[in-house]
Order: sequence, then structure tokens, then C-alpha cells
Amino acid sequence: MLGYIIRRLLAVVPVMIIVALFVFLILRLTPGDPAAILAGDSATPAQLERIRDRLGLNLPLYEQFFQWVRMMFQGDLGVSLISNTPVSTMIGQRIWPTLNIAMLTIFLSVLIAVPMGVLAAWRHRSWVDYAVMSFSVLGFSVPVFVIGYLFIQIFAIELRWLPVQGYTAPTQDLLGFFQRALLPSFTLATIYVALIARMTRASMLDVLGEDYVRTARAKGLREGSILFRHALRNAAVPIMTIIGTGFALLIAGVVVTESVFNIPGVGRLTVDAILARDYPVIQAMILLTAGLYVLVNLLIDISYTIIDPRIRY
Amino acid sequence: MMRFKNDDKSSSKAVLDIRHLSVRLSGEEGPGSLVLDDISLQVHEGETVSLVGESGSGKSVTSLAVMGLLPKGALEVSGGEIDMDGESLLTLTPSQMRTLRGQRMAMIFQEPMTALNPVMRVGDQIAEVLQTHRELSKRDCRDRVLDVMQQVYLPDVARIYGSYPHQLSGGQRQRIMIAMALALEPKLLIADEPTTALDVTTQAQILSLIAELQERHGTAVLFITHDMGVVAEVSHAVHVMKHGKIVEQAPVETLFRHPSEEYTKRLLRSVPSLIPRGARSQESTEPVLEVSDMQKVYSGGGLFLRKPGTHAARDINLTVKRGQTLGIVGESGSGKTTVARSIMRLIDPTSGSIRVAGKEVATLSRRALRPHRKHFQVVFQDPFRSLNPRWTVGRSLVEGPVNFGTPRHEAYERALEMMELVDLPGDALERYPHQFSGGQRQRIAIARAVMMRPDLLVADEAVSALDVSVQAQVLDLLDEVQARLGIAILFITHDLRVAAQICDEVIVMQYGAIVEHGSAREVLSNPRHDYTRMLIGAAPGREWDFANCCELLSA
Repeated sequence: MLGYIIRRLLAVVPVMIIVALFVFLILRLTPGDPAAILAGDSATPAQLERIRDRLGLNLPLYEQFFQWVRMMFQGDLGVSLISNTPVSTMIGQRIWPTLNIAMLTIFLSVLIAVPMGVLAAWRHRSWVDYAVMSFSVLGFSVPVFVIGYLFIQIFAIELRWLPVQGYTAPTQDLLGFFQRALLPSFTLATIYVALIARMTRASMLDVLGEDYVRTARAKGLREGSILFRHALRNAAVPIMTIIGTGFALLIAGVVVTESVFNIPGVGRLTVDAILARDYPVIQAMILLTAGLYVLVNLLIDISYTIIDPRIRY
Repeated sequence: MMRFKNDDKSSSKAVLDIRHLSVRLSGEEGPGSLVLDDISLQVHEGETVSLVGESGSGKSVTSLAVMGLLPKGALEVSGGEIDMDGESLLTLTPSQMRTLRGQRMAMIFQEPMTALNPVMRVGDQIAEVLQTHRELSKRDCRDRVLDVMQQVYLPDVARIYGSYPHQLSGGQRQRIMIAMALALEPKLLIADEPTTALDVTTQAQILSLIAELQERHGTAVLFITHDMGVVAEVSHAVHVMKHGKIVEQAPVETLFRHPSEEYTKRLLRSVPSLIPRGARSQESTEPVLEVSDMQKVYSGGGLFLRKPGTHAARDINLTVKRGQTLGIVGESGSGKTTVARSIMRLIDPTSGSIRVAGKEVATLSRRALRPHRKHFQVVFQDPFRSLNPRWTVGRSLVEGPVNFGTPRHEAYERALEMMELVDLPGDALERYPHQFSGGQRQRIAIARAVMMRPDLLVADEAVSALDVSVQAQVLDLLDEVQARLGIAILFITHDLRVAAQICDEVIVMQYGAIVEHGSAREVLSNPRHDYTRMLIGAAPGREWDFANCCELLSA
């Protein structure tokens, strides 16, 4: 098992190198010049040239690439072209709001979706089942910003239960964090609740037809222990997969929600960096996301061995 | 000498009393919706009553009805009464039924691998029964479980307690099931094909274990099986079911000596005899399959230190001639399937030679092998899974020949001929596998294999999933196909009765090696190796000639 984890971690290296190369080239090939954005509309060509020199944009591509990779291996993500602050500092400031909201979102999604899915499977083809399925379709099809503004309208403006926007770090003020994070998390959660509930339902339906569920009934167990002790754990592998990929997708996909709720997270950082052609920031963010995907996938695979003793690496 | 259980238990207290029970498809009316029609039977203390019949006859529905486990929304009781210990089960609430289940009535199922929860330690699965129905401290509970595990003769109970089902053998798993069922000493035990998935020697052990526990606790046992041999060994009384009705019931010896219903007689006649059929004249001497010194070793793995490998097959030598059938018998893990798969080149043998129709195929690359694949075809055990459910039968049949360059219309013509050969109507080609019964599907599987005009047909447990009457028909069909086309058949089976009826020669395998090889007559009537003797000795009902309703003379 330890050997497996080490092998999987080693496999991250080539993945990251390929992603790095890809990102680097794509960025250089897309139109847009950071020097021009930095210098503003009134800059002379000579000024632009000076800025390019200072930023190292006049060096041949391969030299720029190797320079960047060398810095990366030294743990240096570079300096933002626009704000001149180190990229690691910028991301470090912005990552926590995103991560905290993502975790709260996944937590809420699982808490709501898994019982929903179990219930729908247990009462297959009853009104409960149909209600859950209808909700799923709705959760999939309504865009995130619509739900976000709807929540704001209802819970912040009409009912005045929660603040409209903003972010407070949980380390600073835990209650404040929840007050401000609940609406964005529920907003993000709708689609994941839909996804996880559907997956749970499908997986549970399979498992509930298995012989060992009949055995559990023949033992005189209560429906609750049949569903949650016997069936759910057997149904858990595909559910875990969805949860894991969902979490990774969240980090990358929070841009809209962060804008709607005015949260200083990495989603907005990335969008701003892209608009400004701030190469080092974009590169670092994409690499970070790729790394996160790989890591989350590894964690999912490890969780399989905990759920199902037959799975061994 | 066949010893039937003739002690009369009908004067003991009736534990289970089913009267005029009917079960129908939920929400449907009328006679066509009845799945069980007017079933009446009694099981007394210490008595074993067998329910026999073919698949779909309603045996399992009867047992599920008693347990109150009929699938909701699909089946429902529409009439009659079920009394247990004087209590009317059909009037109980679901929660009252739940307290009875596992406590006063328990059930063992056919396939212990799927009937046990794969992600839960087996000890905990037994403990759950105690925790649900009794107030016990953790420690007492564990002690009780270990005690029950000892009663079913599980070795090293402390270790097995913490094992998962996949880490145990089939026999051990079924012992766990039995321990689970008997943990609270129920009055009634329902055993639904409890040994069908097990090897004969394991089957013999499990049957005697059930009998011993029954003796000790006076349990009433309702035994469901399709295997007449098992029925003869375990039952006091027998009920024969067909299409949801009990067509005949009698004390065991009476039923086997003097069956009165035509259906019962037909069932008994289809039980293959252990006495090998007469030797067939051997016209051909042309070998179709020659295997010499074949080995299959699975390497032991390990990153730096190679662990010793497992010999799945060692020193295999065999020959099958045109028109001849060679049987390979053995229990699970004996290596018979490894041999078959190596010959089919579905797995690669480690060393040795395999010649099919004179051509060495053991060392050919996958690519070089392709043109030779048509010479050897296979029929698998489970016809429900070996045909593509989304393809019409015709499409499945012509695929092979078309793949080897036969024009489509020609292949289709041949498919029509094949349908005739396997006794199915020509329009079957336009239908899908799910529209056929198990026996019909196996005919289709045979037709599909023979479509390729192979020299060698490998039948891997090809009749093991079928009811006896259908089994007999499929065996006849294989014989006929062989006579018409002169192909050689390699027949893999765990069932000595089947081997006796179809094979000219028999190979007995154990631990990956051939322990005995000879004509079917020699091997089965006059076995020389201890293992062969043990196999034959474990075959249930071996002293009885089912077809002729009397003792077997030569046994």
C-alpha cells in the first residue's frame, strides 16, 4: 500500500511537466500582450520594449520555459507581471476562502444528497423517488448565478437571515464565516446534491437487489441497518468517485459564485490574471489545479480500500 | 444399499403448517397471475421436508412467502394461511415478522459468496443476529459467536471471525451462513439450494453438518433443491412442485420407489445415471487435440524476491480424437478450467505443446493464432451471460463466420441450418436472447460455436446451470451434433453423473494435475485413485437408480 502511494506520487511528476509545458505554450500562443496592458494606452513603442525586457518576455520561448521550470523546482512560482507581488503570496492569500467554501459545499452536498439518494432507492418508484429525481433535474439545469441571486433575494434581502456578500475567515470569526459562507455553499451545492443524490440512488438500487441484502432481511434486521450498514457501504465506491471529482471541479469552477458573492478567492484571482495576461499567476493556478486533481484522485483510490476490503493495490 | 430417512416424524409437533397458500403477481387478477397455487405442506420438529422442482416451479417463492420476504410490489400472498408454532404469520405486522426472522425461523441461501456482505467481517455478520434479537454485552456476544462458529466446525475461529467473505473457501462461507442461521437456535430452518454452488465433497460435509445440527436441536428443515440425489439423502418427505403447484407428495422412499405422477417420473428419468453409458465404437483415430507436457504457472509476484508460483496445471497430457468426447472432472481449484482456457488460448500456457488439428497453437502469437481460432470453439456455463443481450441471435451467429470472410448471406444460410440442427425455429434468428429459456439459450450457444465448423468444441460446465430435464436434452443435442459433424468435444464438468452420460474417456484432476485417466467406464465403475473414489463416494444418492426406481445393482 505504501509502495503504491509512493508510485502514484512519483507519477505526478511527469503529469505536472506535461501540464506545465502545455499551459506555457497555450498562453504564449493566445493573443494579448501583458506589456501593453501594463503600460496603458499612451505608451510609446520604446516604453513597451523596455517593459518587455524587464519582464523577460523578449527571451526565446524555450529559455523562458526553462527559467520558469527551474524556478518551480526551487519552489518559486515567480512574480506577478501586473502587481509585482510574488505569485505564491497572491495564491496563499486567496486559496483559503476558496478551499473553505469548497469543503463546506461538499460537506453540505453529501449530508443532503446521500440520505436523499438512499431514500429514493429504498422507496423506488414512490413519490419520494420522483421528488428526488425531479429535484436532480432542476439542480442540474438551473445555472449557478441564477440560484445564487435567487438565494440572495430570498434569504438576504427578503428574510434578512444572512448577509448579502463578503467573506470572513473562520479563524477570525467562526460564526461570521458560516453566516457569509452558507449562501455561496448552498448555491454551489445544488448541482452536487443533484449529482450525488442520483449516483447514490442508482448505486443503492443495484445493491438493494443483492443477495446479502435479502440475507440481512432474513436475519430480522431493521430497515435502517439494512440500508445504512449493509447496503450503503457496498454502494459507496461510485459515490466516493463523484464526491472526489466534484471537489476537484469545485476549486476550478468557483469563479461565478465568487463573483456573485464577492469572495476574495482564487477563482476571481484567476479570472483577473487571465484578463491581464498575467502569465506567472495563470500558470501557477493551472498547475495547482492539476496537482489538486491528481491528489484528490489518489485520495479517492485510497478511500476505496477502506470502503471495500476486496480492493487492494 | 440406499438408506432413506424413514423414521416417521408426522406425530411430532408441526412447526410449519402451510394451508392452501396462493401467491400472485401484485396488482394482477385472474388465474394467469398466480405464482403459487394452493400450496399445502407441513414440517414437523426434527423433520426435513424437501421441495423439489425445476426453475420457476415456485420453490423459492414458497420459502420467501414463509419468511415474509416476498419482493414488495412484485409478489403478494393472495390466499391461504401460514402457521408457525401455532402462530398465524400472515396476520403479523412487519415488525412482528422481523422479530421472528433470524430468531425462530432462519434461512440459508444458495450462493454463500453473494449472500454474505462482502465488505463486513463475517464474525460481525453473525454477531449482528445476536445484537438484533438479544441484549448482550460486546464480550458475551463475541463469545457466543465464536461458540457457534465452533459448532459448525470452522477452524481457527478467532482468525476467521475477523475475515471477509472473499478470504474464505466456499465451504467455509456456507458454514458461516449456517452459523448465522442457527445462532439463535430457530425452530424452522429453510435451506434454499444450500449446496448447489459447492463441490461434491464440500456438499457432503455441509449436508451432514445440517443433519447433525438438526438432530441436536430438533430443528424443522424445509429443504429446497433441484438435485434428486440430495433429496434422497436428506429428506423424510418430498413435495414435487411444477408451475406453482404441488403435483405429488410422499414419504421419501415411497416417492423414489413408486412415483405416481407422470411429471415426477419424468424428472426422475432425467437424472443422469452414475453408470457410464456403453462404449461407442471408435471409427476415427485421427487426433484433433493433442496436449503434451503442458504447464501453467502463475508467478508469485513480489517486487524484488520472486515468491514461488502456483502450478495451476502441471504435466498435462491428453488426446481427443475426431468424434470422441473427453471429460475433465474435478472440483473447483483442480485446474480443469485452467486446462480448458489454455487450450482455447484464452490464457497462455507457461510451457508444453498444444496441437489442434495438427497445428501447434501453444506458442503462436495472438495475431498468428487468429486464423486458427475457428478450429476450436467454446460453449460456456451460463447462457444468460454468454450471449450479447442487445444482439439478435442471428447477428451473434453470423458474426464469427463473417469475421473469417464468409459472405453474410452464406453465413445466414448456415445459421438457418444450425437452428434446425439445434431444434429451434428459423425465426429465432430475429429474436433476442432474453426471449428464450435457459435451455434454448444453451442451444443457441452451441449453434454459435458449431457455426464456425470447428474441429474441437470445448464445453466448459455447459449444462451445469440447467434443470435436469433440460440438461438431458442438451446432452442429447451435443451427442447428435457430434454424430452429424464428427467434431471432438472436450467436456469440463464437476458433475460425475453428467460425465458418465456424455464422455468416452474421463480425466480426473486434483491440485492442477491429472490423477486418473481412462475410459469413462473404467474410471467411474472401477476407480483406482483415492481422490476419484472420494469424489464418487461423495456423490449424493449414488446407491440409487433414479430412472428405474430401485437400488443401483452395481454400486
